[in-house]
Amino acid sequence: MATATASKSTYGTSKKTKGQILVDWITTTDHKKIGYLYLITSFAYFLIGGVMALVIRAQLAAPGLEIVQTKEQYNQLFTMHGTIMLLMFATPLFAAFANILMPVQIGAPDVAFPRLNAIAYWFYFFGSFVAVAGFFTPQGAASFGWFAYAPLSNTTFSPGLGGDLWVFGLALSGFGTIMGGVNFITTILTMRAPGMTMFRLPIFTWNTLVTSILVIMCFPPFAAALFALGADRRFDAHIFDPANGGPMLWQHLFWFFGHPEVYILALPFFGIVSEIFPVFSRKPIFGYKTLVYATIAIAALSMTVWAHHMYVTGSVLLPFFAFTTMLIAIPTGVKVFNWIGTLWKGSVTFETPMLYSLGFLTTFIFGGLTGVILASPALDFHLSDSYFVVAHFHYVVFGTVVFAMFAGIYFWYPKMTGKMLNERLGKIQFWLLFLGFHITFLIQHWLGVIGMPRRYATYLPEDGFTWMNQVSTLGSALLALSIIPFLWNIYITARKGEKTTLNDPWGYGRSLEWATGTPFPRHNFTSIPRVRSESPAFDLNHPEAAGSEVQTAGKKKD
Amino acid sequence: MLKKRGLKWAVLPAAAAVLLLLSGCSQQEFSRGFLPGVPGVTNHTDRITGLWTTSWIVLWGIGLIAWGLMFYAVIVYRRRTGETGLPPQLRYNNPIETLFTVVPLIITIAFFAYTARDMAAIEEPNANPDVTISVIAKQWSWDFNYVDGNVYDSGVQSQFAGETGSEAALPTLYLPVNKSVKVNLSARDVIHSFWVVDFLYKKDMFPGRTNYMYFTPQVEGTYKGKCAELCGEYHSMMLFNVKVVSQAEYDAHLAALAAAGNVGQLDNKYDRNQNLPGDNPEIRG
Repeated sequence: MATATASKSTYGTSKKTKGQILVDWITTTDHKKIGYLYLITSFAYFLIGGVMALVIRAQLAAPGLEIVQTKEQYNQLFTMHGTIMLLMFATPLFAAFANILMPVQIGAPDVAFPRLNAIAYWFYFFGSFVAVAGFFTPQGAASFGWFAYAPLSNTTFSPGLGGDLWVFGLALSGFGTIMGGVNFITTILTMRAPGMTMFRLPIFTWNTLVTSILVIMCFPPFAAALFALGADRRFDAHIFDPANGGPMLWQHLFWFFGHPEVYILALPFFGIVSEIFPVFSRKPIFGYKTLVYATIAIAALSMTVWAHHMYVTGSVLLPFFAFTTMLIAIPTGVKVFNWIGTLWKGSVTFETPMLYSLGFLTTFIFGGLTGVILASPALDFHLSDSYFVVAHFHYVVFGTVVFAMFAGIYFWYPKMTGKMLNERLGKIQFWLLFLGFHITFLIQHWLGVIGMPRRYATYLPEDGFTWMNQVSTLGSALLALSIIPFLWNIYITARKGEKTTLNDPWGYGRSLEWATGTPFPRHNFTSIPRVRSESPAFDLNHPEAAGSEVQTAGKKKD
Repeated sequence: MLKKRGLKWAVLPAAAAVLLLLSGCSQQEFSRGFLPGVPGVTNHTDRITGLWTTSWIVLWGIGLIAWGLMFYAVIVYRRRTGETGLPPQLRYNNPIETLFTVVPLIITIAFFAYTARDMAAIEEPNANPDVTISVIAKQWSWDFNYVDGNVYDSGVQSQFAGETGSEAALPTLYLPVNKSVKVNLSARDVIHSFWVVDFLYKKDMFPGRTNYMYFTPQVEGTYKGKCAELCGEYHSMMLFNVKVVSQAEYDAHLAALAAAGNVGQLDNKYDRNQNLPGDNPEIRG
């Protein structure tokens, strides 16, 4: 009797055993915990994919090197590097941020389908493991490139078990992504707090909604295509047989997924920086509605441009796909100018999240310019499948996903853990990452222009690629180094980081997550929050500016 | 004070531009936008170079405006020590937002118009070419069929590991200078891509289908060719040369091939997709 009372009184505060903690994590349906699981898993894959990239760069440091023993192994490395970075790092990273933040930003206690949310994560977890497990088979992992062009991806040309694991692992993981998309859409449409109208949603939540719609449009065809490829590989189905035009069929199906996929990667991270710029400029986002319409326009156009990956196949309608692709530049440009408009006449400070967001913007502008070049078939005939393309997509994807990921982690870390990450280490890491990134990838544009094809395991001394590859390899080492201060920062913050209990440790937060406890309470809010504008937390903390549009809000200087 | 400070920052891009000009990249390279080759390699390359350099000039203009505005904003509107309060909470400005939607739209339409003109010219089929070549790609080399001369040259996979001088042994396609060429492209196993770097053009080669490219080589010389679509383990060794030579040399090369017994045409009889797993030869015929 006495013991029962004692254990009751300490319920919830008693220290859990390691086993209890483990069971707690793997059985959780809490959106924040699932978000943290996504964040940790995807970051682990980011490190694994990064190590693969370093081996790739080492192999290319001089012509004729044999850092990897066979070229088949080299092909496995870039295949799995691409697969991991896109489908096991960047896509689940969207699910991570959406899970952690979106319900809080709309004032909801959880997502609409918590258990679906959990199974989505575990599908991703096991699916990704299956795809990567190819490395533990005798013939190694898949080696046909992350876009698995038929007929190279069939068993005649890629007989290993690694290819089968890749196909079925990604299909499983893909279903997880689809479930996540359904869940996010339902949550945003049905679980907003009173007063949280659609045009008061934070931009990040808007982008989560639009991204989720893209997910449920383009992942199902991809899953179907993977099953068809699996049927070809395991059951001799001949769906992608060249005798009936299979290679082009695969390319259409793959890129119908593959192009929207890059916007699935980009849009949520545009959302993250759209949250950060206003906070550190102490101004609302500039042109909220045009930003939302630009996001919708990008998503809509992104479903119509897939064949720009296929200009050199000689069997797509070039003018149509060139025009739709070029049109994407317009809403993208609108976003860039809206971000600059947010900075304009603001009161700008340079905390680590802001530094990363500015690093993103600097990088992304150049990725956008090279994207316009590639949209033109007349120029793409030369550049397609060259290092120019490699450089371009690292500028847009790394520039967006990785820069915005670090921006988001530094920004929301106090909300997730109750501790602020070290600013000095954050800034050191930013400059290492920024310099390392640009040294690695800027030179690759020139490499592509003078004729280096992508996915080459080696090259001739006469090609004249050597010194540029060496610059790139050197840069990649610097890039890799930049991860060390970050990991150290996480460790040292956990050990003796500065604790914060302020609802809004940055002081100028705008969306609802800054109006609730730090770290987040179990059900996000202790009472239903009041929402009267698109900046509810800012209204609460800065009532003098609430409701003011242009004129008032006082002078910056006293 | 502010003006002077602004001037100081303007020195940076100017210095970068001067550095770029002095850093050894020749006027020639710079004016071609670092594209490989020399002017007029084929009848299409000058057109491509023109579009490339014009596009870059416009894009650098847009890029410099965007970067310029961004850096101007973060420098001029930075929060200075001791500052308190909030800046005006500006939420939108319709005229400016309309401006940065409409101006890019106009630029895009212009860019599309030039692109459409140039790609139509590059892709224009030539019904009566002077020379027809049929190239068949295979893992991991090239077969060149000289259709008019009824001779062929079958390439073997190159081997190299970092040493110089292996280019001479690569399979070589001969073309006569200033003669219009049609190339039929196909593959015997997986997808490959036919890229002659200095011609600034590539086209994919599919099993079970034929692609075409049309051009007129205008400058004699040896050009590097590469497979540009991942085709398996030795993708990076699937290289070739293109030699643009005088008509007399071209005829001599064809005669040498005939003398070596390479008479006739290679075809896709041994396409490896004909015996995929589970194939029933009676059904496929």
